[in-house]
Amino acid sequence: MATDPQPGAAAAGGGRERRGSEAGPWKLALRRFLRNRWAVAFLGLFVLIVLFVLAAPLWADHVAHTGPNRNHTLEKLKVGDEVREVVNIEGQPIGPQWFEADGKFFLGADGRLGRDEMVRLMYGGRISLLIGLSTAVITTALALVLGLLAGYYRGWVDSVIARVLDVIWSLPVLLIGIALGITLAIGGLKLGPVEIQAGSLWGPILVICIFTVPYIARPIRGEVLALTEKEFVEAAVAQGAGPLRIMFAEILPNLASTAIVFFTLTIANNMLFEAGLSFLGAGVQPPNASWGTLISDGSDLLNTQPLLAILPGVLITLTVLSLNVVGDGLRDALDPRSKVRLEAHTGMVEPKGASV
Amino acid sequence: MKKVLVVFSVLAIAAITSLGLVACGGGSDDSDGGEGGGEGGGILNATYNGMPDYLDPALSYTAEGWTAMNEVYIPLLTYKHANGAEGSEVIPGLAKELPKISNGGKTYTLFLRPGLKYSDGQAVKASDFPFAVERMIKLNSGGSSFYTSAIAGAEKFAETRKGKISGITANDKTGEIKIELNSPRGTFENELGLMFVAPLPQDTPIEDLTANPPPGTGPYYFTKVQPGKGWENARNPYWAKANSKAMPELPSGSIDGAKITFITNAQTQVDDVEAGTQDWMQNLIPADRYAEAKNKYEGTQLRVEPTISNYYFWMNVTEPPFDDVKVRQAVNYAISSEALERIYAGQLTGNRQILPPGMPGYKEFDLYPYDVAKAKQMIKEANPSDMDITVWGDNESPNDEAAEYLNDVLQEIGFNTELKILNADNYFTIIGNETTPNLDAGWLDWFQDYPHPNDFFQPLLAGESIQPTNNNNLSRYDNPAVNEKMAELNEQELSPETEAAYAELDKEVMEEAPWAPYGALSVSTFVSDKVDLDKVIFNLTLGQYLSSFEFK
Repeated sequence: MATDPQPGAAAAGGGRERRGSEAGPWKLALRRFLRNRWAVAFLGLFVLIVLFVLAAPLWADHVAHTGPNRNHTLEKLKVGDEVREVVNIEGQPIGPQWFEADGKFFLGADGRLGRDEMVRLMYGGRISLLIGLSTAVITTALALVLGLLAGYYRGWVDSVIARVLDVIWSLPVLLIGIALGITLAIGGLKLGPVEIQAGSLWGPILVICIFTVPYIARPIRGEVLALTEKEFVEAAVAQGAGPLRIMFAEILPNLASTAIVFFTLTIANNMLFEAGLSFLGAGVQPPNASWGTLISDGSDLLNTQPLLAILPGVLITLTVLSLNVVGDGLRDALDPRSKVRLEAHTGMVEPKGASV
Repeated sequence: MKKVLVVFSVLAIAAITSLGLVACGGGSDDSDGGEGGGEGGGILNATYNGMPDYLDPALSYTAEGWTAMNEVYIPLLTYKHANGAEGSEVIPGLAKELPKISNGGKTYTLFLRPGLKYSDGQAVKASDFPFAVERMIKLNSGGSSFYTSAIAGAEKFAETRKGKISGITANDKTGEIKIELNSPRGTFENELGLMFVAPLPQDTPIEDLTANPPPGTGPYYFTKVQPGKGWENARNPYWAKANSKAMPELPSGSIDGAKITFITNAQTQVDDVEAGTQDWMQNLIPADRYAEAKNKYEGTQLRVEPTISNYYFWMNVTEPPFDDVKVRQAVNYAISSEALERIYAGQLTGNRQILPPGMPGYKEFDLYPYDVAKAKQMIKEANPSDMDITVWGDNESPNDEAAEYLNDVLQEIGFNTELKILNADNYFTIIGNETTPNLDAGWLDWFQDYPHPNDFFQPLLAGESIQPTNNNNLSRYDNPAVNEKMAELNEQELSPETEAAYAELDKEVMEEAPWAPYGALSVSTFVSDKVDLDKVIFNLTLGQYLSSFEFK
């Protein structure tokens, strides 16, 4: 299998790396990434956030002693000698108790249903991250396949795929996303063997994937168009390799760095998309929580309990920021020539170790 | 230096001139809502949180819809423009006077006032009334059951959709309208006062006209409807020319019109009314602002309006698991009115029966005191074959939370549930359509149409009220003995004996528990400081009257 040894170097039209250097291309990329302190710091932050949401069952079972959807409207909390209502007669939920009630209602109750906000925040994060991750996997995989087919075959195949992507791209994303999301939430979907239950997470996953694919497929198609002109592809053709082998064994490995970068950035984008859909009632359905639904629920209580909307918003911001910085770091590490091209173009001189 | 002085002088003069122009100002300021005031006039800026179910008088069956249309469409009879119980008095509308009732209570004769016109200039004719009734039936209106069960020939018309309703005759020359009933009906005058049967021109299409409402006879009319954005009302040009002279007892209104804007976020609505950019918000103040708004504005800009209403969870008695009365009773035991009072932030008063407090015939009882353990035990004993339930609610807070509460309660007593929260604009249409799958249980509310207990029985619990679309009997409850009792009681005038009989019927139906009722709501009239709150009239049936809004 002929590959361009420096990940991403194919895009810059580079040749083979000199055999004199000791480390392989991936190890070099790792070293470049680790030199990027911001990227490493934000990767650490992202890991912390993931650990936070993964700890949800532990917190729910051993600290809060409740589930994410269990209501406690009538319950009273004993805090020292004081008895506090979880929801008072005027509908005001209890505020953050921190550790005064042994960790119960650490961040207070989420509203008039008296659900534990901390538990919902953690479980909501699992759903938001799950949707972000799964849609990124599906979208990236689909975009790679479509980009490969369009870029390799060109001609009518390219035209058809490009036009379909153009149509999706031209649709008003949020409006159609909301309409589709609500339809799937109410009625579900049954297309032959494929069935999506009404209200299932597959509803928003499907909507997000449909609208995100063009954003990745188009640039990948462009890269494939360039790669098919390379000598190693010609060589493979000359050796009698078929189209599928050429696409997946020769060209695809050269797209690895691009795919990795897009993948990380797509997780972030799709989390935002899901948050928007859920905020508008077209994504995750009640009583389940995601960070988007928590912002929506919290917006009803902005005057009295602003934390309920602010906290999930902060978590979404930190997660998306982390992924974006990590994605930028990965891009610089995997394709340092993109930085060289940028510096040459702008006349900018970057200090050593910083990412663009 | 001289040049600098000249430049400086020019700049100074320009600045002073500009300041002067700004200080003088110009015209009315659109940005702070409510143009005009003082001696009358002005445009009322109001906000709803979304489109009512319909803006078609034949179809709308919600408080929001009736509030939007109560000054546009006037039926033959109408309700007195007054607050509280006084507003439930039926008075002549387009009819000259209250009907003459003869033939043992089965014949109602009315005469149309002469000279009436619709807002498009067409003359109102006596035959417009039977047309309106027929149109309403053809559209499968949720209000049809009042009339198909009452008027001779209406049921046959509802089946065939052909010809005319034999029980209604109208003479355009004399203005006489004669209505023959199948049997005496104590509530028929009230039902003639509902907008379902407000006369309409006979060229009105037989379709939902929400996006382009038909002309009306009231002091205002719809000039523009933008689904998703709002609508506008202006003075009906033919009100002053013709109708107000024919109906002098009905008010003409102080404001020149209204501009209604949809603002889905109730917090924003409250902020806007406080700031004066909106003059009135039609829907409830959100729960977390209610206590603060009440403390700050009650008496000056806010007035609490108790209603005769029932908030309840319906259960489909025709499908498992709710086809078993024990299961339905168990659900009632598991529901806590106190929890729901908190969910409604103190705006709800607990009630566990069909009739709400304030309704004639109401006699308090509670067959199912809160007991979750008992509920679980009953479910275990009943051992229903189907443990999967779909729970429905709309997305208007706190009704969505009430539905989530029901969802949680059902899970707690052992069911597997799926919650579906629909947009409030479409909720009633979707759940009222028999083709919607899995209509197992859900949230609903009902506000009195008129001060007669039949209003909480017949449209909601009578077998004849079950309709394929716009259905209000969501429990699909159809008990022949109860149907017969409802019909029998409805023939009688309200008296202490009839009220006692309704109280008995209430208990009898609650023993079968087709619902889990939980409370009656208080609403509020919340206006900006530009509006004279004391002049605003809230009718228990029709909501706030546009004609009663007046700027200070």
